[in-house]
Amino acid sequence: MKRNLYIGLGFSAVLIALGVGSTVLERRAAVEAAGVQAPRFEVDPMWPKPLPNHWLLGMTIGVSVDAQDHIWIIHRGGSLERMETYAAANPPASECCAAAPPVLEFDEEGNLIGHWGGPGQGYDWPVSNHGITVDYKGNVWIGGNGRGEQVTPGTQAAALNEQQPGSGRFNDNMVLKFTQDGKFLMQIGHPGQSKGSNDLENLKGPAKLFVDQAANELYVADGYGNHRVIVFDAETGKYKRHWGAYGHKPDDISPGPYNPDAPLAQQFRNPVHCAELANDGLLYVCDRSNDRIQVFKKDGTFVKEAIIAKRTLGDGSVWDIAFSKDPQQKYIFLADGSNEKVYIMLRDTLEILTSFGDGGRQPGEFYAVHSIAADSKGNIFTTETYRGQRVQKFVYKGMAPVTKKDQGVVWPKTAKGS
Amino acid sequence: MTSRRFISSLTTPTRSAMPCVMLASLAALTLLLPNRALAHDIPNDVTVQAFVKPAGQRLELLVRVPLKAMRDVDFPERGPGYLDLNRVDAYLRDAATLWISDAIELYEGDSRLPKPHVVETRVSLESDKSFASYEAAFAHFTGAKLPSDTQVYWNQAMLDVLFEYPIRSEHSEFSIHPGLARLGLRVVTALTFLPSTGVTRAFEFIGDPGLVWLDPRWHQAVLRFVDLGFLHILSGTDHLLFLFCLVIPFRRFRALIPVVTAFTIAHSITLIASAYNLAPDSLWFPPLIETLIAISIVYMALENIVGGIGVQRRWMIAFGFGLVHGFGFSFALRQTLQFAGSHLLTSLLSFNVGVELGQLLVLLLLIPALEIFFRFAVAERMGTIILSALVAHTAWHWMIDRGERLIQFRFEWPQPNAALLATLMHWLLVMLILGALMWCVRKYWPLKFPARQPSAPDPLGMRPVQVHAVGHGLETETGGEI
Repeated sequence: MKRNLYIGLGFSAVLIALGVGSTVLERRAAVEAAGVQAPRFEVDPMWPKPLPNHWLLGMTIGVSVDAQDHIWIIHRGGSLERMETYAAANPPASECCAAAPPVLEFDEEGNLIGHWGGPGQGYDWPVSNHGITVDYKGNVWIGGNGRGEQVTPGTQAAALNEQQPGSGRFNDNMVLKFTQDGKFLMQIGHPGQSKGSNDLENLKGPAKLFVDQAANELYVADGYGNHRVIVFDAETGKYKRHWGAYGHKPDDISPGPYNPDAPLAQQFRNPVHCAELANDGLLYVCDRSNDRIQVFKKDGTFVKEAIIAKRTLGDGSVWDIAFSKDPQQKYIFLADGSNEKVYIMLRDTLEILTSFGDGGRQPGEFYAVHSIAADSKGNIFTTETYRGQRVQKFVYKGMAPVTKKDQGVVWPKTAKGS
Repeated sequence: MTSRRFISSLTTPTRSAMPCVMLASLAALTLLLPNRALAHDIPNDVTVQAFVKPAGQRLELLVRVPLKAMRDVDFPERGPGYLDLNRVDAYLRDAATLWISDAIELYEGDSRLPKPHVVETRVSLESDKSFASYEAAFAHFTGAKLPSDTQVYWNQAMLDVLFEYPIRSEHSEFSIHPGLARLGLRVVTALTFLPSTGVTRAFEFIGDPGLVWLDPRWHQAVLRFVDLGFLHILSGTDHLLFLFCLVIPFRRFRALIPVVTAFTIAHSITLIASAYNLAPDSLWFPPLIETLIAISIVYMALENIVGGIGVQRRWMIAFGFGLVHGFGFSFALRQTLQFAGSHLLTSLLSFNVGVELGQLLVLLLLIPALEIFFRFAVAERMGTIILSALVAHTAWHWMIDRGERLIQFRFEWPQPNAALLATLMHWLLVMLILGALMWCVRKYWPLKFPARQPSAPDPLGMRPVQVHAVGHGLETETGGEI
């Protein structure tokens, strides 16, 4: 009897201790949570679902999310190895595989729900596709960074390298506008016609585009051959304005290789890799090889800049950015295809809060993470070029206190709130 | 400039017959003009946004759908396919009736509301944010239309419609059967109900959810969730196989009661805990639970094959695995709990009642079938081994398949922080209380239920160890205390 009493008392004491302890810890967790927070992500290894028809992705060099939360990507089928496209040989050399069409549309679940693209009548399809943007009217814009000869209808673009897209003069001096089902609407610029960074009619390796709804203007990160941002009327294609780094008039004098210890370059290096307009009218430009973001007003007035991973050489650190989808667009997600990570930054201060990702080929790792986009639910999508050649989804898991500057690979965690 | 006339210019004899006449005429036209693409493709993925708000003697229904889901409607175009906004209004109204209001059934109490009046239509860009709230959406219908010179490709625009239904009172009970699944291959509907009480209810469902009570009374929630639980257990092969294994050796009610009760209590605990967000929300969790469910079946089948299982042991195992199966039930409920209204706990319990009724039905069919099988087909022990082996085989493959999916996740130890420790302490608390309950049950239960596996003479000559309850402890036939 006495023994049972002791057991009962001991048991009650443990229960009370656990109850009090968890309450205290919950309060402490609330205090911790009130500190610096950032969106937390987990890779979804099951996204997207397998492609049909033995299709493969090549260098995947663009991603965009439309207003319906459909995910659009563009890739380079021509970058696949010969053995990867045996099924497309004449005669077919094996059952597998073939390049998927260049433009692919996925739903939120990762189902492929649309595909089109390639050379056609009435427009000049790029030698080397580069960048995809779905604008506020649902139209699809693409750029290109290829050199060499223009591809003709019925042919496949050549195998290309991200850094040296073909050889010879720049061919892809144009951007194209299509409907969501691939109907051609407009082309700005013509292949092989660029006269440099102050040419008002042609582009030179345009990397990425953005359409401003308020003014219906198209902003082009131009690009692999030019050193500027250029703005056109999104409906007529009429030239509006352009500028270089710090709002200077751009020039094409070679700046030489990037030197992190040298004074800051006064012109953009190639490639000018993204131009994204925020809701408050600030334009964020990826000066990839200079390892920096520059921020401008819509008229090209320089506002500020931030250097990211300054000692990154070669391909540079600032490949692409996406804004969080809250109305204030509080965060920037920056894809760094050299250091193989995505930075989460505060948009107003350009301060890096944390980063995730690491080099590798497993889900959640990156090899040349090239493009990034966010959907309305806070999830982000990335694509990889070179031999990365895939699209990945990172599921938004709510806000979490920042505990590490570099989170590494964001595999699913084993507990809530970690 | 292209201009294709819309089918609704055909005469409309009566309002209810209109869709049939339209569709029949369309079919005839399609046959007569095979080379002309009158019909549009069925969209793969369609998102519908809707608000339902009763106000006084009328009920407003605000709906936004992609224009491309309005199939067989050839909207007037200009240029390369841009909508001709000057001529589109009549087409919008007809499309709204044919594809939206004709598909939606709204009820006030038990009475179906008459066909609504199309108050206003709008064409919007995909990026338009008006449907973020009811107020913004309503203002959108009274605001300016899209400028007529806007160049928007016809199948990239949205159709917004404001319908109005006559009602008796805004305080009535309303329900809706949104038959919008036909708009696309996959249709997601986000519906917000704004009753006069001021409590907003948001729903999001895929396809056709059937009749939805927008603010259900408790008995409506009970009915819906009992039904759901009943159907879920009957369609859940893995749960049924587990139940099957559980009862093969115990086919008498006195023996079954503690086993099935333990399973029920356990899955109720984790089901309710999940509904109150106490379960992990990570991507690896569902595959883990599915794998554990497969393991539970394999284990139970193997235990049957080995034999010598007492009720004492089986109800404890049923309790443990019941906790796992409860998480499995919660995945089935995840999308449906939104229909519970303010009766979350009632709905959860009702779901459990449905599950139990389903289990009861299965047991009522299973036990006599097993009795007949063992009496006329094969001796009990051998039959138990054969049946359990078949189940183990199936479950083994499930276990391998699900396990392969699970191991694609690489586990990392979480960061030890206050939130994690608090969660662990919560669970420890729950486990301790459960442990204490189990201890009490174990201590007192054997007084009422003989803990012995009823079995026929062993045809294989194997002699399982029989377990008897002796006083408050347990003894084997050889006298050793467990």
